[in-house]
Amino acid sequence: MTPMTPQRFAQIVDAYGADPRRWPEGERASACAFAAACPHEAQPRLDAAAALDACLAADTVEAPGRALQRRIVASAHVPTRGWATGARSTRWWLPGAALAGAGVAGLVAGAMAMSSVMMMSGEPTSTLHEPSSSYLSTGFGTSGEEGGVQ
Amino acid sequence: MNPRDPDAELLARVARADASAVRQFVARKLPRLLALAVRMLGDRMEAEDVAQETFVRIWKQAPHWREGEARVDTWLHRVAMNLCYDRLRVRREVPDDTLDETQPDDAGQGPITPEAALEARQQGARVRQALAALPPRQREALVLTYYQALSNAEAAGLMGLTVDALESLLVRARRSLRAQLSEAAAAKPAPQGRPRARGREAEPTPAARKR
Repeated sequence: MTPMTPQRFAQIVDAYGADPRRWPEGERASACAFAAACPHEAQPRLDAAAALDACLAADTVEAPGRALQRRIVASAHVPTRGWATGARSTRWWLPGAALAGAGVAGLVAGAMAMSSVMMMSGEPTSTLHEPSSSYLSTGFGTSGEEGGVQ
Repeated sequence: MNPRDPDAELLARVARADASAVRQFVARKLPRLLALAVRMLGDRMEAEDVAQETFVRIWKQAPHWREGEARVDTWLHRVAMNLCYDRLRVRREVPDDTLDETQPDDAGQGPITPEAALEARQQGARVRQALAALPPRQREALVLTYYQALSNAEAAGLMGLTVDALESLLVRARRSLRAQLSEAAAAKPAPQGRPRARGREAEPTPAARKR
């Protein structure tokens, strides 16, 4: 542990305040040791810093409102229902009867139709970890818009 | 040995359009980002705009995020700070007179007398005014280290500074704040026994909205 100098101790307290938890991690122990060893020198500076810290702590910011949270969540444009994306959208279920005698064009048309049916009846996304909150039950984004998070 | 970024997995799920992850991410990050913007801009409405725009950019970039390049939280702070500075540049930032942030709730503090609540609000307003009067770089240094609780290395990295330069800003910021708050305290009428919370005590000066 590098011994702390009075000048460096002063710099630390003047920059970071009186709470050792805010002091640079690598110097915290030596600064605390200095304060304990030289209280006459350290304490007035610590007291002044603590007074300012108390003032700073008086400034609090009101938590974000639900409307803001909703807007931000909605801006992600994530559909609520299990909208198939990427590779999943290609896992079309094709019943055997639809395949029998179908040409390529028919296959494609049929697959696209089935895909639409699949997506419209998709299961809701998992809600395992959702905290209960009314704003969470609203839809996300607006239907038909481009996906914002893909 | 770098500990794993606690936000990386959640952001990856956001990038996969996981609605639950989006909600969790917002719940986890919005309060701090909003607080950062409020303290930098001194204007709640602008701060909410910045917070919202920050997340819009996050949503767009999430699919391209590579874990290990930087911490997600650091990245969020950088985006938010850039947006704050954009606002400050547009505003041609003038210290003070920009506050319209009504002091927030005391709900988390338990039972409190009306007089104490008023004093707390007034003190908070004085601090906010003093913060707004700081040069932006000093304010940023203080907000990042004191309120956002970033380490000196993280804050210095965000600001593109050495730790020494960051500490220099912090020392000046704290010195300025102390002086301003001392002046404000000296100007405040002395309490007379039990001050009563009437309709108009020495309320903070309502801010002129700057647009």
